Amino acid sequence: MTAMNPIAAATIEMLRVTIVQGEAKASTDPRVEMSTILGSCVATCLFDPVARVGGMNHFLLAEPPRHVRNQQFDSDYGLFLMELLINQMLGLRASKGRMRARLCGGANLNPDLAPIGTANAAFARQFLDRERIPCVFEDLEGTQARRIQFRPASGQVRARLVPAETAPTQKPLGRPQSALGTVELF
Amino acid sequence: MNTQSTPIRVLTVDDSASMRALLLGALTSRGFAVEQCEDGQEALEWLASNEVDVIITDINMPRLDGFGLIEKLRGSALHAERPILVLTTESSDEKKQRARNAGATGWIVKPFDTDKLTAALRRVIH
Repeated sequence: MTAMNPIAAATIEMLRVTIVQGEAKASTDPRVEMSTILGSCVATCLFDPVARVGGMNHFLLAEPPRHVRNQQFDSDYGLFLMELLINQMLGLRASKGRMRARLCGGANLNPDLAPIGTANAAFARQFLDRERIPCVFEDLEGTQARRIQFRPASGQVRARLVPAETAPTQKPLGRPQSALGTVELF
Repeated sequence: MNTQSTPIRVLTVDDSASMRALLLGALTSRGFAVEQCEDGQEALEWLASNEVDVIITDINMPRLDGFGLIEKLRGSALHAERPILVLTTESSDEKKQRARNAGATGWIVKPFDTDKLTAALRRVIH
């Protein structure tokens, strides 16, 4: 596919997709624009520049469920959401070795509360480092909410600060029922 | 057959370094002896000359994926009956059936619950 010039792109109707907390989606469609608002939450935007596949997840990790011992922070679930995103991109012919990451969010909106934004940002950075996925852009932490827009087919991210009251609930939603480690023996 | 004093030997196969680290910590803390491989091809090569009691494998991996690994092991003399559990974020019934058809022993959804995982490991080796 040939690159679009900015004027041509402006006349194409964009398909706006909101990525809420706990979601991970990938696409190759140049009309798609993924967006979300982040307070303490972190969004990971991944992009494979050769396959032109991109995806975004959105997470807010806090305390793990009761059956998870010895952890203050539900990094297991964070790992699941990262892997979900990567697998969706692999399904669209992306290659993990070519992926580049952009991280946004992780703000600490309330100075009187524990810095959960910083903890989520640290988790995301550590994951990318461990998986050897380069982080080419980050707009993390601070004290303000952000609105981000990501175009998965081009990898472009736009982040801007917004009033804190526009950020959705800052409570972690916790794991869905499907993420409780079900075992099935054949 | 494993005696109580000998740790159960587990091979974990996953291309995610984070997941390998997580499994290593969770299983060794429960007394399992853990070996690790980064993808199906490496696992196949390692298993050609090594034995374990049970294998845990991801599905989406480079070079040789989980389905391919299970099929090749089931065709080998040494590992035809080896318990193999799939540990995956995949949730489709189609993929689960494919794993079952390939010869997997069980299917575990990520993020795993350590108690459920270790109970399953102890159950499948007997």
